[in-house]
Amino acid sequence: MGRILILNGSPRAPKSNSKRYAQLFLDCRRGDYLEITRSNHQQLCAQVGAYSDLVLAFPLYADGLPVTLLHFLKALEAHLPAHKPTVSVLINCGFLEYGQNDIAVEMVALFCRQNGFPFGSVLKIGSGEAILDTPFRFLAAGAVKKFAKSVAAGRYASFHTAMPLPKSLFLKASAAYWTEYGKKNGISEAEMRTMQIESS
Amino acid sequence: MNLILSDRPLALTVQSTSQVRVIDLSALSIHNCVGCFGCWTRTPGRCVIRDDAVTVYPLIAQSQRVLYVSRITYGGYDTVMKTMLERAIPVQQAFIRLVDGETHHLQRNVAPKQAVILGYGAQSPEEEDLFRRMVARNARNMNFTRFQVRFSPEEALEAAVEEEVSKWAVS
Ligand SMILES: Cc1cc2nc3c(=O)[nH]c(=O)nc-3n(C[C@H](O)[C@H](O)[C@H](O)COP(=O)(O)O)c2cc1C
Repeated sequence: MGRILILNGSPRAPKSNSKRYAQLFLDCRRGDYLEITRSNHQQLCAQVGAYSDLVLAFPLYADGLPVTLLHFLKALEAHLPAHKPTVSVLINCGFLEYGQNDIAVEMVALFCRQNGFPFGSVLKIGSGEAILDTPFRFLAAGAVKKFAKSVAAGRYASFHTAMPLPKSLFLKASAAYWTEYGKKNGISEAEMRTMQIESS
Repeated sequence: MNLILSDRPLALTVQSTSQVRVIDLSALSIHNCVGCFGCWTRTPGRCVIRDDAVTVYPLIAQSQRVLYVSRITYGGYDTVMKTMLERAIPVQQAFIRLVDGETHHLQRNVAPKQAVILGYGAQSPEEEDLFRRMVARNARNMNFTRFQVRFSPEEALEAAVEEEVSKWAVS
């Protein structure tokens, strides 16, 4: 049986949603878990070749890969392992539509083609900032489970999930989510809605 | 205001003025976004990391025309431009609205803009195609009313930039 390494490419990896999704993966299939930092690229590049499967868990950032992950992929390209694991993608984004992740998934697939890595499974999560703390958590957990099984069995496939809410309700739910977030920091909704940028 | 944002030095005849700002991101010190959402929920409209990025995103917001010059990596912006664009989210609010039926953030005082994105260094037509489709997605998040994606060899970037800027003068 192969070995799986999950790499977290979120810039806030220790406190990230990606980490929680990775944990759901590890709840049903065995694997190792590491976080990409500024200073561990060389070490990670040296380890990657020991695995049959590499799962990149990361958030969508400005319609693409977060720079934390981009820096690592460039380092990996410069230090290609002799054995190239199959690369799978576990991506989540803040917006409701899981399809907003498509371009970032294609970026990883392109990295794989350019560098000779086989491409594996994909899980695209919409409303990924909030879903784990809502009654729809089970949908995310179920999707991660299917994704994990597919990676572990080498039967690669594409999956997706998001909160099953009409957009109008999602807008209300997300407003409540962010208002509460601000409130915890002592910031009112009106302050959060300021139109000012810096002081202009 | 019009803004030229480049990820490398450019030898241009256009000078940086109050009308056309020219910024070489590679000469600035810009840390990556740490995803803290402080700019939405702690100090709204201001990034908590007080480096050079805080002088750039207000200019992005004010500009009616932007020209971004970036190396292309894996079909997206390379790290220099991408780092800046990630740090520009203080120009948006946390709150979400619909844009063309899709969920996106509300903008603060961000001028609607015409954008030209000039990419260089793509390895294949498929990489250029992916870059084009990424910019089309950016348009919805970055308040582009019109955008054009253009590719150029790295050696010909200056000429391409000057050509685009000359169009600003006449329109
Ligand atoms: C700088 C930045 C850019 C983001 N860009 C997008 C985006 O383009 N589309 C989107 O749906 N969510 C975007 N998000 C939201 C994140 O993808 C979302 O909050 C995700 O749950 C973060 O995952 P993490 O905790 O694993 O880092 C962005 C967040 C930040 C901080």
